[in-house]
Formats: sequence, structure tokens, C-alpha cells
Amino acid sequence: METVLSIQEISKRYGRIHAVNQLSTEVHKGQVFGLLGPNGSGKTTTLSIILGLIRSESGSFSWFGRNPSNESRKRIGSVIESPNFYPYLTARQNLRIIADIKDKSPSDLERVLKLVDLFHRRNDKFRTFSFGMKQRLAIAASLLGNPEVLILDEPTNGLDPQGIAQIRELILMIAKEGVTIILASHLLDEVQKICTHVAVLDKGNKLFDGNVGEVLSISDSFELGCAEMNKLGKLLKEHPQFLSLVAAPEKFIVTFNGKIDASELNGFFYQKGIVLNHLAERKRTLEQHFLELLHKNQ
Amino acid sequence: MIKLLRLELRKILTYKTFWIIIGLYFLFLASGIILAELIVNSWVTDMNKHLPIPLPHVNIYFFPNIWQNLTFFASIRYILIFPAIIIIILITNEFTYKTIRQNVITGMSKKEFLLSKLLFILLLSLCITVILKLGIFILGITHSEVTSFSQIVTKSSFISVFFVLLFSFLIIAFFFGFIFRNTGLAIALFTLYVLIIEPIFSMVSKIPSLHLGGISHYLPVNAALNLVEYPYIPILKTIMGLHVQETGSLMDCSIPMLYSVVLIGIVFVVMNRKDL
Repeated sequence: METVLSIQEISKRYGRIHAVNQLSTEVHKGQVFGLLGPNGSGKTTTLSIILGLIRSESGSFSWFGRNPSNESRKRIGSVIESPNFYPYLTARQNLRIIADIKDKSPSDLERVLKLVDLFHRRNDKFRTFSFGMKQRLAIAASLLGNPEVLILDEPTNGLDPQGIAQIRELILMIAKEGVTIILASHLLDEVQKICTHVAVLDKGNKLFDGNVGEVLSISDSFELGCAEMNKLGKLLKEHPQFLSLVAAPEKFIVTFNGKIDASELNGFFYQKGIVLNHLAERKRTLEQHFLELLHKNQ
Repeated sequence: MIKLLRLELRKILTYKTFWIIIGLYFLFLASGIILAELIVNSWVTDMNKHLPIPLPHVNIYFFPNIWQNLTFFASIRYILIFPAIIIIILITNEFTYKTIRQNVITGMSKKEFLLSKLLFILLLSLCITVILKLGIFILGITHSEVTSFSQIVTKSSFISVFFVLLFSFLIIAFFFGFIFRNTGLAIALFTLYVLIIEPIFSMVSKIPSLHLGGISHYLPVNAALNLVEYPYIPILKTIMGLHVQETGSLMDCSIPMLYSVVLIGIVFVVMNRKDL
């Protein structure tokens, strides 16, 4: 698969604090790549480095297989932190400046303004916009000229629920068109809903890197219940993959080694003459995984 | 180049603050030029009280001396500070609004960004110079008895010198803007330096016992503004013994130009090293 962004061991320190520590990762074409971590974990610093705003102390990165340059940035649309525009210029004038820098035709302005539902406000000054509108204008700016990569830093931060839903829909729509997306967020829910891949950051360190689906499919426990709990307990210990058991009222919470299927488990007990009246798979969510990872890092 | 300048103009031409300050600048400039003759002649009248032979009325709008006289009044610190403040605001705004970050993210290099500001300073200096030239020409034509073409153009080199003077002065503002990044701070420090620190320092440097010689001529603002040091009023030379320039010489421009190069160089290095 074509590599869009490749980062090799970049580091950035602010005084004694490691904002980013030896971070390496790769983003491939068509991925929706989530950069997940709590506030202050180094997400924005990482994005600022790969966009040329700040210099990393060591390490390197490349865009589209080449050294980063102005030309590579022109192929990327980005929304970093707060929307930054000239407050005394109108939405249109602001976008015109962006289009000029990117060497894109101004004829695209209308399309992106309509896409974020700001066309009717195009001749109003940026200063008069609500926060949600400012954020939408920033997204419009990032979409100018059909970028190959879209970088979004906390794109739904500070928006109302309706705004959040709108932006997420928009991101998914853009992703469907094959645009590679790099999304930084401290919201798990957001990453879970939008991303295909994820890198988890904490205190500048990468804790985990992989497919969101893989992380979600890790199932490590089952809830089991039946009429004869004692017998069930004894039988469980005979299961080759059995790991541990916690007794809860009228059910056991059981963990197994490796992957195991609910139907397979049901069949196992049925053969042994036990009819389960409760069988539930407890999927380990990204959230649990995330918290566990963070916990280990402390 | 054209692209960078066009981009810069897109940011500026609909900016109200820019036009208000430019308006104030031309208002002060025009009043300075119009009041100049009154001021000079009231000063002559004062002098006449102490002189055995009274001096004649001075007409500062006569060709060819009008070039020297009016470029002198146009380069008074209190008037020049207006375009300098515009430059500082236009630069520090980019940091305040974080639009410099947006520009770079979008695909502009820091170098291109600095170049676009420099190009605008060049354009602004050029526009002000051309407007001043036109004003001087009109005032001169209406106030002197022109006898020959050479009478008009003789001292017009002062207008080219004024261009260098203005550009060098605005580069100092450019430097303050990029180094301090904060509008209030940059304007305060610039004003303090131009109107207070350097004048006081050059006054002190003229105390003979300090043996500082002509150092005041080499201070950045003085070096620029002294390109047109005095108006051409005969008594300044004959009675007060001041060194009044006879012609505007681009040779004198070397020190302010050197300052400009150094300041621009420092800004490029600092901007390259510092994160946005």
C-alpha cells in the first residue's frame, strides 16, 4: 500500500518535558488514521512538526515518499487547533488567500463553502462568525482544491452536538472519496466511530499502533450463568483455554487464553450436560484498552 | 514575486485600520508641509530681533530647494512613525491571529512569508514617495517662477534619497514587528526607541567631554533620517554654520542600506530558527 506519511523517531522537548518522544509511525493511502491521547500527550506537537510549524530535535519524516516541502504541504488540507483567519476579511476573501497560497483555482470556493453550509454567509466578515461557523470555515479551507490528505486536529472541539454530528458525517463522506485522513482527538468515541487505524499517545510516547478493528475485536471475557453454578465452576477448569474466574451474583465472569467463540463455548458445556441460561461476550472496548495502556504507562 | 505581493495586498486592501492610519499619515504630512513655511518664517522673524540686518522672508516652496525642504519635513520622526506603525500592525497581526501558522500550513515557506512583507514595504515606500513627489511638483510649480527645466530637476535627487530613507525606516519597524511579535509591545518599544531613546542618546553623545564623536550619525534611525538632515535655508549655513547638504546623494545611503540588510538578515535567521 502506498505510504503517504512516514515518521521516523521524531522528538521534541519543551524544557524538561518530552512533548514527543522518539515517535515513529506510518500512514497509508486511504486510511483514516486516528491520533488518540489525552490532552498534552503530544498530538498537536506531532502535527505541528509534520506541517513544518515547529522543528523536531531529532528524527525525520517524509510526505508522499519525499522530503517535506511547500509543495507537499500544498497537497495537504489541515485544520490545526483553533480556526485561524483574518477577522476583518470575509469568509470568501479568507478562502481566496488560501487558494492563492495553494495555487488552486478560486472557482473551487463556491463548492467548499456549500459543503460546510456557509455559502449564504460568504460575504460576512470572519469576525462575525460563531465558533461552529469558524470551525466549519476552517474545514472548508482545508478542502480547497481537493487535497490528497486531510489533517484534522480536534475538529469537533467546542462544537454543539449537532455540529459534531455534521462534521463527523462530512469526514466520513470525504474518507469515502479515498482521501487519507489524519485525525487527532482525545475523544475515544470519535476515533472509534471514524477511524480505521489508530496510534495511542501519552506523554509523548506511542503506546499502541494498529487497526481499530483489531483492537475492538480483542474479547477476553464471558459472562456465564446456569442453574447449577457449582458444576459449571468445576467444568470450566477442565476447559483447555481457561484462565480465570470471578464469581458474581448468579453468574461467573470468565477469561480465556486466546480467541474463543461464544457458540464454541456453548457447545462445550452442552456436550458436558450443562444448559446455560446466560452467555454474554464482554468485548473489550477501545476505551478499556486505552485506559489500560495509559495505566501501564504510569 | 507578483504572486506574493498580490497575496499581501489581498490581506491589506480591505483592512480598515490600514486606511485610517494611512489617512492620518497623509493628513499629518500635508499639514507638516503646509505649516512648514509658517514655522520657518516665524523663526526667521524671531531671529531678526537679534540681528543688525534683518533676513528676508524665506520661500521654502521654490524650485529647486523645495525638493530638499519638503523631503526634510516629510522625514520628521513624528510623521514617519505612522507608516511604521502600519507595518508593525500588519506583521504582528499575523502572529496575533495565528494566520502566519495558517499560511505556512497551507504551503507558504517562512521565506516567502517574509518576502511578501518586504515586497509590501517596498511598494508602500514607493507609493508614498511618488505621492510626495507629485505634491512637491505641484507646490513647486505654483509657488516658483520657473525659468528652466534644469531649475526643476536640479535637486530632485532628494526624492530618491527620501525613498531609501523611508524604506530603511520601515525596515526598522519590520524588525521590531518580527522580533517582538506582539502588537502592543512592538509599537511601544519601537516608539520608545525612535522618539525617546535614540534622540536622548544622540544628545548625550554630543557632549564633548564624552569623546563619542559623531556616533549619533551612525545610529540606525538617525542614519536613515539624516539622509535629509536640514532644509535648505541659507541662514542655517551662513549664520548657524550647519552642514547643509547641497545635493541628495545616494552615496550617503550606504549606512542605512547596510542597516536594512543586517536587520532583514537577523529577521530571516530568527524566523528560521524559532517555532511558529
